[in-house]
Amino acid sequence: MNIKRELLLGTVKKMHEEGYDYLVKITAVDYVKTLEVVYILRNLNLNKDELLEVTITPEDAWINSIIEIYKAAEWYERELQEMFGIKIKDKKLKKLLLEKWDGKGYPLRKNFLWNKPYEKV
Amino acid sequence: MALTRINIGPVHPSTHGVARLVVDLDGDTIVKVEPHVGYLHRGVEKLVETRMYMQNPPYMEKIDYVAPMSVDELYVATVEKAMGIEVSEKAAYARMILLELQRIASHLFWIGSVTNDLGQSFTGFMWGFRDRDVILRLLEEATGQRMFYVNMRLGGVTREFPEDFESNVLNAMKYMEKRIKSYENFIEKNPIFIQRMKGVGVLRIEDAINLGVTGHVLRASGVKYDVRKNNPYYQYETLNFHTKILSYGDNLSRYRVRIMEIEESIRIIRDSFFKLQSAQGSMVGMPVKLISPKPINKISIVNRELPRGEGLMYMVAEDQKPYRLSMRAPTFINLSALNHIARGHRLSDLFAIFATLDLVMADVDR
Amino acid sequence: MSIDSILKYFYSGLNSPDLLTNILFIIVYTIIISLLVSVFAYLFGWVERKLIAKSQYRHGPTYVGKYGIFQNLADLIKLITKQKVVPENADVLLLNIAPILLVGITILVILLIPFSSYLQATNFGLGLLTVFVLLGFTPLLLFVAGYASGGKFAQIGAQRSVLMLVSYEIPMIFVIATVGFAAGSYSLSGIVNMQSNLFYAFLMPLGLVIFFIAMLAELERSPFDLREADSELIAGWLTDISAPYYALALMLDYMRMFMGSLLIVILFFGGWSGPILPGIVWLILKAVIVSLFIILIRVSLVRMRIDKILKVGWMYLLPLALINLLITFIIVIR
Repeated sequence: MNIKRELLLGTVKKMHEEGYDYLVKITAVDYVKTLEVVYILRNLNLNKDELLEVTITPEDAWINSIIEIYKAAEWYERELQEMFGIKIKDKKLKKLLLEKWDGKGYPLRKNFLWNKPYEKV
Repeated sequence: MALTRINIGPVHPSTHGVARLVVDLDGDTIVKVEPHVGYLHRGVEKLVETRMYMQNPPYMEKIDYVAPMSVDELYVATVEKAMGIEVSEKAAYARMILLELQRIASHLFWIGSVTNDLGQSFTGFMWGFRDRDVILRLLEEATGQRMFYVNMRLGGVTREFPEDFESNVLNAMKYMEKRIKSYENFIEKNPIFIQRMKGVGVLRIEDAINLGVTGHVLRASGVKYDVRKNNPYYQYETLNFHTKILSYGDNLSRYRVRIMEIEESIRIIRDSFFKLQSAQGSMVGMPVKLISPKPINKISIVNRELPRGEGLMYMVAEDQKPYRLSMRAPTFINLSALNHIARGHRLSDLFAIFATLDLVMADVDR
Repeated sequence: MSIDSILKYFYSGLNSPDLLTNILFIIVYTIIISLLVSVFAYLFGWVERKLIAKSQYRHGPTYVGKYGIFQNLADLIKLITKQKVVPENADVLLLNIAPILLVGITILVILLIPFSSYLQATNFGLGLLTVFVLLGFTPLLLFVAGYASGGKFAQIGAQRSVLMLVSYEIPMIFVIATVGFAAGSYSLSGIVNMQSNLFYAFLMPLGLVIFFIAMLAELERSPFDLREADSELIAGWLTDISAPYYALALMLDYMRMFMGSLLIVILFFGGWSGPILPGIVWLILKAVIVSLFIILIRVSLVRMRIDKILKVGWMYLLPLALINLLITFIIVIR
């Protein structure tokens, strides 16, 4: 299910009320022109998984946090923030997940080349 | 009262690798635990984007070095799904046998580390390792390697089982059943062990679901979710086994769930061998070729019950290379629940809880 | 000249009214006992390693010497030659003096223990009480060592040692009082002589159990090894102690075990009394058996939690010690 960024919180809330109470994974894919954030939610009772895809642009990469609904989201969102440079709109998530790194760019973006010496900020 | 902040790790006897915990203590009571991860971050998810499909399994195995074959299988299954390759019935049973053996080995490792973290001067540790070695020898017989097997091929496994493999495994399973009894007598019936484990680190069912914990932690809290049952793959649905759950959610439940899982695994292995005799098809998969078939699914999602919990791979396929591979590491999410579970407990209990979550830091960091 | 007459001569020297002779003999005796303790501690370190290895399906030390008997010596030499690291915010004087004082106290306690009816430094009426007053200092010194090293792990270990002192010392004192009461004296050799008919282990089995548990806590053996809980506090009060002092602390562990098992044997198993063999052999044999038992406990039990130890001390050991006192009182009076 592809949804708009602005509708994410509402949709997730609604799905949570519908019984999708288990967050399996939040991840993102860099399609160079767009970034796609993927949420996998699960209904444990019905044993059903649901995919939510939110497409955003790399220039304006931010997304709402769903920590309020799923506590499990915290580390995933911190990981996204660090690996993809997607800003998470939540005050609590200022911290990085991994240790500090003085390099430039975000490792899992496609424009981050793994075989080149990294540039310092 | 002022809080004491102590730093545990990254080098510490019971952090299982390189976890670093910053613990705020009020007296002896934990106010907050903040896990710092990333000391073992290799960037596997980036690395696989630069390698061809079948070059990646060796990297995958190092994600979880305690149960390498499970992660390897998860990856290969993801690739198979992307390319639409079917696994023959015989190969499926073979994989199931190997995976369950791997699960038992991993659980035995864990029993050892739990008793060690509770301060048993290495006895349980050595016992667990000795029995794990029995399994590792079997896996070596079947795959040729003792720890990092790289045994999964597209559509099957590397080679047929050796001739006496079945009798060896069945003997080992008999031995394992005896050993589990002796673990029960030696560890589980010990009143101090029960005192340290019972009612400690309780994770209630609604918190467990909300925190997204997985595997034995989830099942010990009373959620009946096992990928092998709820989303069966291979031939698991044809076998008769149960998802064991307990509802207390404490350390002891986590321990018991694991012991029961070993027993279930033994049953699965026995059944699989029985079914293997009449299974159709070839056990051996495609030989490793760098040039692989064209993927037919762009996005493939596969989840598996790894020994440590549910593993999930989300792969965006591209010609010859994965475009993006994202793994849900079971221990990653279990570790993120540590703060919630450990708050309000004693410092000594932190290590018991930490041990029962069964963390492999390489899996957390990837 | 038989061994017995040598010992008798020795005994008369130790108790001679002439001060100079007395001091000379006491010095000689101290040296002998220190040597004995060191040899025992060394050999027992090896025995423990081998025994633990056996129960864990390992081999234990095999490389240095026959059956690895020199392994501990090699370890000691390695530790002694290592660089001594002192933490920045440590109190150097206290940190250095505490392990040495601990060894001193341990040897002092062993000096007060009679090895046979003639092999004893002194036989004064309050021997038992003196021993336990001295033992009361050890947690204090452990606390000092832990606190002086400035590390947080060491400090937590130190605090735990004081907390434990509160929990096991009182039941232990009650058992000692019971033993003293049953024997009619606090003199250690008096207690042994009173057991010639019946070991106190049979007179008060409850007392033995309580004393044994309290002694395990005193010796910080498993399951009460909280002060140096290796999987929690790295090494507890030993965390910041390095090189020669660490070697000393390791030896200290076995010395204290020797001391503890000697005390158990003296108080409950009739000390040196036994047929055929000379007294000292019996004493050490019994002490070794008690120590082996302590090791077996170490192999099989997990560590207790500090608040549970307090609970065990106050809720179970103390009432049981009182019951023990009562029962013994009734039996002895009757």
